Amino acid sequence: MNSIIQKAPGHFHGGIHPPEFKSLSNQKSIERIPLPEFLLLPLKQHIGSVDEAVVSVGDKICKGQLVAIPTQFGAAIHSPADATVVAIEPSLVGHPSGKPVMALKLQVSKRNSSESFEELKSTENSEWKTLPLEQLINKVQEAGIVGLGGATFPTATKLRTQPVDTLIINAMECEPYITCDDRLLQEKADEVLQGALIASHLLNAKQIIFATEDNKPEAIESLKKAILDSQAKNVKIVVAPTKYPSGGEKQTIELVTGKQVPHGQLPASLGIAVQNVATVKAIRDAILFNQPLTERVVTLTGDLVKTAGNYVIPFGTPVSHLIELLKIDKSQLEAVIFGGPMMGQSIRDFGAPVTKSTNCIIFNKKKSNQHDWVIEAKQHKSCIRCSECQQACPVDLLPQQLLWFSQSEQWEPLEEHGLLDCIECGACAYVCPSEIPLVHYFRYGKSEIADLKANKKKSEKAKERYDFREMRLERAKAERAAKHKKAAEARKKAAQDANKDPDGKQAAINAALERVKQKKNKQTSDNKSSEGEN
Amino acid sequence: MRLSSPFFHHALSTDKVMLLVIGALIPGAAIQCFYFGYGVLINLVLCALVANLSELLFLKFRGRALDALKDNSATLTGILLGLAIPPTLPFWMSIVGVSFAIIFAKQLYGGLGFNPFNPAMVGYVLLLISFPVEMTAWLPSTEIASHFPNFTESLQLIFLSETSRGLTVADFRTVADGFTMATPLDHVKTAHTMGKISSEIVTDPMYNTNLIGWNWVNYGFLFGGLLLLATKTIRWQIPFAVLASIIVTSALLNWFDAERFSTPVFHLTTGATMLGAFFIATDPVSASTTPKGRLIYGVLIGFFVVTIRTFGGYPEAMGFAVLLLNLAAPTIDHYTRPVIYGHRQGNTNV
Repeated sequence: MNSIIQKAPGHFHGGIHPPEFKSLSNQKSIERIPLPEFLLLPLKQHIGSVDEAVVSVGDKICKGQLVAIPTQFGAAIHSPADATVVAIEPSLVGHPSGKPVMALKLQVSKRNSSESFEELKSTENSEWKTLPLEQLINKVQEAGIVGLGGATFPTATKLRTQPVDTLIINAMECEPYITCDDRLLQEKADEVLQGALIASHLLNAKQIIFATEDNKPEAIESLKKAILDSQAKNVKIVVAPTKYPSGGEKQTIELVTGKQVPHGQLPASLGIAVQNVATVKAIRDAILFNQPLTERVVTLTGDLVKTAGNYVIPFGTPVSHLIELLKIDKSQLEAVIFGGPMMGQSIRDFGAPVTKSTNCIIFNKKKSNQHDWVIEAKQHKSCIRCSECQQACPVDLLPQQLLWFSQSEQWEPLEEHGLLDCIECGACAYVCPSEIPLVHYFRYGKSEIADLKANKKKSEKAKERYDFREMRLERAKAERAAKHKKAAEARKKAAQDANKDPDGKQAAINAALERVKQKKNKQTSDNKSSEGEN
Repeated sequence: MRLSSPFFHHALSTDKVMLLVIGALIPGAAIQCFYFGYGVLINLVLCALVANLSELLFLKFRGRALDALKDNSATLTGILLGLAIPPTLPFWMSIVGVSFAIIFAKQLYGGLGFNPFNPAMVGYVLLLISFPVEMTAWLPSTEIASHFPNFTESLQLIFLSETSRGLTVADFRTVADGFTMATPLDHVKTAHTMGKISSEIVTDPMYNTNLIGWNWVNYGFLFGGLLLLATKTIRWQIPFAVLASIIVTSALLNWFDAERFSTPVFHLTTGATMLGAFFIATDPVSASTTPKGRLIYGVLIGFFVVTIRTFGGYPEAMGFAVLLLNLAAPTIDHYTRPVIYGHRQGNTNV
């Protein structure tokens, strides 16, 4: 039954082959870590706005309890453990901005020792297929599920974007070091498949494609077995050659279908939805076991970790707890990388917690020869326009030109050259012989363009208001003018009438006569009425 | 640890790229030395020194970090110019050419990465139009020369313009039967101007022997160029397009009138063809940077090389062709931008 496994029909431009370092962590089974004493649970672990806490300081909460709800766009957050809320305050949680984010500090009350990563014990909800789709999608929403590939886009919203013909399960995991999806597939392929089938049901999709790279043969084998065992139809595995960044959503789609998502549109415009391996597993747990998302599999790896592998880690677990658990030599550690080395984020504050977006934490020895990567004209060598970046760019941009425009702050040509299509994968900076922090420049350019647009919008609005005011004043003026004209005409008419009787004598006589007449009338009527009264 | 992603970096550094290019020049340069004497070597050393000195001076004037010297780009410019000039060029001319290349064509524009023109070729063309006689006074290859300068004589020719025995460059250019030998390109051009036809020219044994030296120099640079391709130091588009275009243009002319126009093989293996195609036209800073643009850029260089060699006033044209196309590179880049992901009309298969 090799027809289940197919070679990727498409390919994408550029890409790179960085050293993988995956064997550090993909040989060991997933383990659960013991809970820390305190959890720091940020109220923003998703794309969207900061959630609002629905518990207060001092509250005793239990595992899985809803602790925060989205105010606008976002995802719910649940407690990963039985705990007491000790504080709700802005805390440093390793947000890319470096700014504090509102977070719950929880004191864990029952620090049960490590249990294995095993089946959920509650009973399976076998009725789910009979429930209406919207109700099921709401359940996914209530479970606080977001895209666990790293983008953390609320999954329910994605599930509502229909119609969809093909559900692609993204198991590329193309970044070096990261193996959490690989391990999850090796150990729990059946559950992932179950999740994929549920997601496909929710999307009314006709087929499911697992997209992966050829560097994960065990995962592919285990997935194949699961598919055969389940006798699920219209499920296949598409294997692409290992190349970074094949796991980028757009690149995955191009690999699997040979098509590109049109600029400014969603994958749904091609009838495609893409979900990550861990995400569909979370969907399964939510639908079948009413399990909210409170923990995830995280790869803990790097040359300082002796027991590198994948661990189930509750959200809110601070890095310092992991450093202790893994017995990492802190003196060798300058910073950790959250995520992969290509698109991750360096974190120097070890109080920062694992969140829904954390798929990997890399603990590497600090290197003395690597200077800090900052934008300063004299800090890096000049661009020699070798175009290696262009060769590496998966979206076919010209990074060398973008750099030129970024450095000279020419925002309009920068945008016109497609800066906003940049996915910040870092392939360009990886191959740059002058070690120019290209992605850094591009992020800067993007934020400047966003600013410029916001300002433009603002000034357009102001102009609109100004124009309206001008119009209103003009109208009032015109109205006044019309009124004056009318009045003037009336006066003119009156004057003309007067002209017919130059001295106004006749008019005066007429008026006097009229007055007399009225007086008379009044007198008679008054007499009549007084007579009546008497 | 870097502040922002990516945290991985893997590439040849710019310094090493330049070193690799210099290294790949060695086979060709060695052959050139073999056929045309120590003057080649002396020029290379002189030009590299002057290039670095000029760079150092102007980095200082501009208040820039002297670290930039370590990128080896000045050395490369010096070496490329050193290979392009005759082996007996008076030293002060070399100094004028190299310092002009570095100071005016590179540093005044902002240094490495900001020069619109290939600095070595700017220096070369400056010398060529200022000192046309000296710049075309190539020695005959060692096999036909009646006197061939040894190391001391080469030094004396370059720095004192005559040897201790009173011989000048003109004497060294005379071959056995009293003729003055020019480069094959020059020879053919003059012969054609004098009304000779190709079949007459190729019967001259002196010319043929001289040609062999030039052929070997070109093979040397071709070999070095292939090394650059193999190490992915340069991409294939520009050299391929230059050579293909030279072949097509010269083949068309040759097919039109074989007696008046030289063969593709002649164009490929004489003059600065291989040096130009692999080492000069590929200077990334001043060349086109898009894949399609590089093809157009190369094709036009090849076209101009053959047409200027054939119809122009100068026997060699690589310098002119490259500078002309340097001028056009920004426009070429503008019109050959690749289609960005998702912007393709019709959104069909890739």
